[in-house]
Amino acid sequence: MDRGWWWKFSFIVAVTLGTIWFLVPTYYSLVVLDRSERNNISVLEQRLPKWAPPAKYRLNLGLDLQGGIHMVMRVDTKTALQKRTERRGQQIANFVNDKKLATVTADTDPERLQLTLTVSPESAMDAVEKDVLSTFGDFSKVGRNGDKLVLAPDEGQMTRFREEAVDQAMLVIRRRIDKWGVAEVDVRKLGTDSIQISLPGRSNPEQAKELVGTTAQLEFRMVDDSNPQFFAEMVKQHPPSPESKVTLSDTEGFPQLSSPSREALLEYTKGKVPENRQVLTECVANPVKKNDCLSYRSYLVEKESPLTGESLSGADASIGQMNEPEVNLAFDAAGAREFEKLTEAGVGRRMAIVLDDNVHSAPRINEKIGGGRARITMGRAGARSFEEWLGEAQTLALVLKAGALPAPVTVGEIRQVGATLGDELIKKGSLAAAVGLALVVVFMAIYYRKTGLIADVALLLNGLLILAGLAFFNATLTLPGIAGFVLTLGIAVDANVLINERIREELSHGKSARAAVDQGYDRAFWTIFDAHVTTLIAGFILFFTGTGPVRGFATTLIVGLLASLFTSIVVTRVITTYFVHGRNAQTVSV
Amino acid sequence: MQILKHKTNIDFIGKRKPAVFISTLVNLAIIVGIATVGFNFGVDFAGGTVVELKFNHPTTAADVRERAQKGGLHDVSVQGIGASEENAFLLRMGGVTQLTEEGAEKAKVAIQGLGQVRNVYADMANGIINFRSATPLSAAAVKQAVESTGTGVQEVRDLGASQAGNGFDYQVVASGMADKVFAALGAGLDKPDFEQRRVDYVGPQVGKQLRNRGVMALLYSMFAILIYVAFRFDFKFGPGALLSMVHDVIMVAGYFLVSQREFNLTSIAALLTIVGYSVNDTIVIYDRIREDMAKYKGKPLAEVINIAVNDTLARTILTSGVTALSLVGLLIFGVGEIWDFAMAMLVGIIVGTYSSVYIASPLTLWLDERAAARDARHHDGAKQQPKVA
Repeated sequence: MDRGWWWKFSFIVAVTLGTIWFLVPTYYSLVVLDRSERNNISVLEQRLPKWAPPAKYRLNLGLDLQGGIHMVMRVDTKTALQKRTERRGQQIANFVNDKKLATVTADTDPERLQLTLTVSPESAMDAVEKDVLSTFGDFSKVGRNGDKLVLAPDEGQMTRFREEAVDQAMLVIRRRIDKWGVAEVDVRKLGTDSIQISLPGRSNPEQAKELVGTTAQLEFRMVDDSNPQFFAEMVKQHPPSPESKVTLSDTEGFPQLSSPSREALLEYTKGKVPENRQVLTECVANPVKKNDCLSYRSYLVEKESPLTGESLSGADASIGQMNEPEVNLAFDAAGAREFEKLTEAGVGRRMAIVLDDNVHSAPRINEKIGGGRARITMGRAGARSFEEWLGEAQTLALVLKAGALPAPVTVGEIRQVGATLGDELIKKGSLAAAVGLALVVVFMAIYYRKTGLIADVALLLNGLLILAGLAFFNATLTLPGIAGFVLTLGIAVDANVLINERIREELSHGKSARAAVDQGYDRAFWTIFDAHVTTLIAGFILFFTGTGPVRGFATTLIVGLLASLFTSIVVTRVITTYFVHGRNAQTVSV
Repeated sequence: MQILKHKTNIDFIGKRKPAVFISTLVNLAIIVGIATVGFNFGVDFAGGTVVELKFNHPTTAADVRERAQKGGLHDVSVQGIGASEENAFLLRMGGVTQLTEEGAEKAKVAIQGLGQVRNVYADMANGIINFRSATPLSAAAVKQAVESTGTGVQEVRDLGASQAGNGFDYQVVASGMADKVFAALGAGLDKPDFEQRRVDYVGPQVGKQLRNRGVMALLYSMFAILIYVAFRFDFKFGPGALLSMVHDVIMVAGYFLVSQREFNLTSIAALLTIVGYSVNDTIVIYDRIREDMAKYKGKPLAEVINIAVNDTLARTILTSGVTALSLVGLLIFGVGEIWDFAMAMLVGIIVGTYSSVYIASPLTLWLDERAAARDARHHDGAKQQPKVA
């Protein structure tokens, strides 16, 4: 055997061992762990042996196989746009009326999103039209008839507004699900106005719909800092159990409780706070993975919420005089009075901004704030660049607006699979895959004898490679994915059939075993390559257009085809070469 | 072991005319069938609600239907799935929310009775009724008013005071169909005698979106594969590969049409895989034709194609056979859409093998003959060109 062969052989052995090593987290999560802990990555991290790859490289079961809810929410941007158009209409009317150019009333057509201004006296129309169009650049003229001027909002503005509405809704949904305590949730944008949500292990679609579909609740609550050592004393009196991972940390001069699990933290504090107080948590963002919480920390707040988001009329991020990002809040008349009272009583204390029971931030009140306008200056903690700092201000503004402005969401799609059905499908799916695989393996061994067995070895490696590849991409195995797995194994064997038939043909032309094998592989290579590439093209297009389970199928197909190129061409050739060259064989069994 | 003991010498090219004729006829029939009869679109594309229930005692589809109808669910189809002793059923309903045209009209009247209400309009697609009231209303009162007309309400949203100051906006969100199913079937029971195994619920707009995306995906992949084939082979091969691809996709679509099995997202996945696989098969033969064209220079293309197809016949049958073999498990143990997927793939593999031999290759020949004829005409034309000078 020449040196090149040994190199290839060692490479294949390394890949095989690496593949098996890579499947350790998957094995633990699907076989060793109890099904209730299947989706809990921290449990898996604890249980994995030290030498195993990180727990994140594991194969997840799709919602159709383990039970759970898949939802697509449509953000009702139309209603939000109607509201906005109406608001702008009122602003335009106020603008003209303030200038005393004419008396204007604004009326909105909710279906066509158009604004009709009625101008009196009619003679002032030209001046009004000119003034309005030059000041309100986001509107353009549609028509004019007597004392009526019809305006329509600008397309670009509407698109931006729609995007903002979807982002807001997504943020709110993510926080709400967080509150529900579902591990491994996946919330992502789908198309222009939809949000896709996966909730593994959940079984009540109506409850999920209610949770996700209702509008968010924004509150302002006073933080109780009267006893700065409150949490420190609590820990001293009732030491938390190590499993809860609740620890005492000192972030802002006050001892606070901290835990990677929100439920554990709330469970620990239950019954340990005064009647009129409540513990709320704040998410400490993961600096690497956005929108993911590294841990949660505790706040002791007053139970009563004197001011809610209903009183907020707007929020915007800007850069302040000291070149620090800030968020400007505007309250309606009643809210302004309440806010003034609240801040007057609370100078020097902190006020928590709470969205759906999660503390977003807790700025300190420096002075009494009147006039219905407030400013939150952003601290620079944690932000690495100015952009990121400003970004935090923008997020806060978005959060405040999300609580204040309802951008209603409706359910576009719900798919729920019960856990028992999921188990049944796994059983049937694996059985089907095993039977298909066994039939192919037996057929190859009988039909091609030794080369058939070599192809079988490659096929098994191919199967492992697919699973490891899916684990590497943290992909999800779905029921159609199992079908894709089976199909790919069929295609992988296809390649070996092509090679073996070619070798037979070359042998029948009177070539030596060695030459026949070499030519068989060389000639079949491009055929196999072309055949794989065309199926890959279909696979990629399916991946980019498909959703949910179908996407799982596409992933399996793509990973499988790539693995098949390696196993059916490289692996089988190295083994076949060993039998033909190494033993100086004159015959080859095909 | 060998599947074909002797070298075959079948005249495939000679039979191309009847083959192409029959294929064209069947394809046209399928297209007409799709246009007139249509697919049995699943909830993915048609929109609607599907609920899968498993009862804890023996019952029949007719019983379940009767119980549903007694509970006020009229347009429901009930179908048993799996073995009959499993007592599992699929219930399908057209609507997504409980809001019907008729229900919306009744709800409108009820809402108008609440006070000075205007701008009432029902958004049927989302199951929402919007309205503006001159005075603030309590959500509970609105909910009660609408529910008294027979439409379940999930939530009444208070959208706040209108900016123009002439009213307060509200949104009534109707409950989902699934709720109605459980209410109808569980009526009069302390504890439901069934387990809810699966709920699929797709809004009509989403369904339409999904359908369009599926069709676009099919077209894109065909186009991308055509470009690849044209790039890797002579352009002469492109149209043959494309037509056999279209042929296979139509034939598999024909399977869904004739069997009236549910056409859903998984069916689209099957069609797309067929697109990839169909070319796979064609390429094996094209590859050999190209090789033989160089080997037998001077022989007519028809003969070369015959040799190539005959030489590769064993492997054409084997490769398809092995892939089909891997699907056997899915066909035996697969249920629902996975069985349909495997069956569609099987049809696709058989049709794909046939079309590679009888459609793709003859078309290449035909294109070649046409090109030759055009060349000849062109030459003749050049000769006969009258001199003008």
